[in-house]
Amino acid sequence: MVIIATTENYKNIIRQEMSKLQTHAKLSVFTSLKTNPDGSKVRECYECTNFMNLLRIYEQNSNGKLEVEELSISENQEFARRYDIQRVPTILFIDDNGKELVRYLAAPQGLEIQPFVKTIFAFADGPNYYENAIKQNLHRINPTTIKIMMTNQCPYCPQLIETANLFAIASEGKIRSVIVDILANQDIGQYYKASGVPYTIINERPAIQGMIGPQHLLRELIGSNTNIQYR
Amino acid sequence: MYNLEQLDPEKIYDIIILGLGPTALGCAIYAARFDLDLLVIGKEYGGLIITTHIVENYPGITSVTGTELMERFRDHINSLEIPYITDEINEITKENDHFILKSFFQTFKAKTICIATGSERRKLNISGEDKYTGKGVSYCATCDGAFFKDKIVCVIGGSDSAAKEALFLAKHAKKVYIIYRRDEMRAEPINKKRVLENDKIEIIYNTNITEIKGNGNSLTSVIFDNGDNFEVDGVFIEIGSIPASDIAQKIGVKTNNKGEIIINRKSETNIPGIYAAGDVADAPFKQAITGVAEGVIAAYSAFDYLKKTEIKY
Repeated sequence: MVIIATTENYKNIIRQEMSKLQTHAKLSVFTSLKTNPDGSKVRECYECTNFMNLLRIYEQNSNGKLEVEELSISENQEFARRYDIQRVPTILFIDDNGKELVRYLAAPQGLEIQPFVKTIFAFADGPNYYENAIKQNLHRINPTTIKIMMTNQCPYCPQLIETANLFAIASEGKIRSVIVDILANQDIGQYYKASGVPYTIINERPAIQGMIGPQHLLRELIGSNTNIQYR
Repeated sequence: MYNLEQLDPEKIYDIIILGLGPTALGCAIYAARFDLDLLVIGKEYGGLIITTHIVENYPGITSVTGTELMERFRDHINSLEIPYITDEINEITKENDHFILKSFFQTFKAKTICIATGSERRKLNISGEDKYTGKGVSYCATCDGAFFKDKIVCVIGGSDSAAKEALFLAKHAKKVYIIYRRDEMRAEPINKKRVLENDKIEIIYNTNITEIKGNGNSLTSVIFDNGDNFEVDGVFIEIGSIPASDIAQKIGVKTNNKGEIIINRKSETNIPGIYAAGDVADAPFKQAITGVAEGVIAAYSAFDYLKKTEIKY
């Protein structure tokens, strides 16, 4: 549920941060939007409306730099099939080559605002601290999906999410980061038997429980017995 | 948001602060006000305090969650344009008049260092603990409390943190047992009173747990040291912490027998130019406010050191 971001404090954080965005970025958001016979539009899922209201705050405070494109899952079936959209709302960061870099099955609210903003900035060719290391080691990284199970109450999750997303953006499509709120998507949490967060699954291997830093995450991607090259 | 373009690997910072908790950020705020070139590097933003669901002893703030407190710190460091990054320093060496700090991602140089790396949760190191971590065993009630709605959980430990974890869990769980090896909680009296008055919380004294058992997928019970099998759905371990002083020890910074860095009243270590503060240091009373104070003193001492050694001034 979108609760925290409705507070003025968090809206202010979004306003302050998004006003600094210098370059264009586009997010695609699949929702339950439907067009009625009379041409009017309606969303069948209440959470989709909450999501869109939240994302519009990001968009409206970005000086026109952030574009949030709402896509109806029923009216964009080919696009939805291409990106294997199984549920709404889903936020996608898709690069210029059509590769999905980051997927959110979670509302970027409360503590999740900071990592979401940093993801948007890095996606828009802004600063990415991990970019050099990821690019230098890209040949050692197999195509990878990092799934991070989180909740909006988890104080460690934002840091791990930021790291995974920035890795994905630096990887030119070799790494995909998927952020899942398992209180809002309980079936996914149950499927992976997650009863604690953060809970990280890399290429469906056994889960990593708890907070892991960027160094640990990179080791997981490269192989734990491999030394990572210094810059 | 800070500008990463500033992170020139050839730049020699006046001070690099290791840690991203209140101690490190208190040090950073003062270092910035002393006009020092600084960088803050930490494993994760916020430190251990972000797992505290309520902070009521930080002067000037009546009541705040740990995460909200650290968001206020973030506002403060952002207002001073203090650069901070999430990374982990693995190696520190000395070269001429400055230190070289290496992470997996970049190399940094600094004339002084403040180690404010805090501490890490202590584990019980008993059978079943690792196997059921994330499947019922947790070290963070704030993170995982919501998964135990209407369930039975226990908190291991008798500290103030354990009391606060139990109080937080009581909002979600049907029943919370505190299992403590001694015969009296050592929590702050105000939190001890709250625990004793909470109908959902029961304390089992003079008891240790020796094993955590489960069905493979989830935790089902704990075994007491008297052999009893005690059925619970979740175990929250809150038995203190271990100072994160590995990097300091590697470079010859002196520590005590607990692994805490030995500092003087100026937050100086035995190595000139290296300071330490907060949970990683050897102060007997570890609180956010005392850590911040030590961090602030470290910033002043570094400023004074730089002035005297004329590295900058």
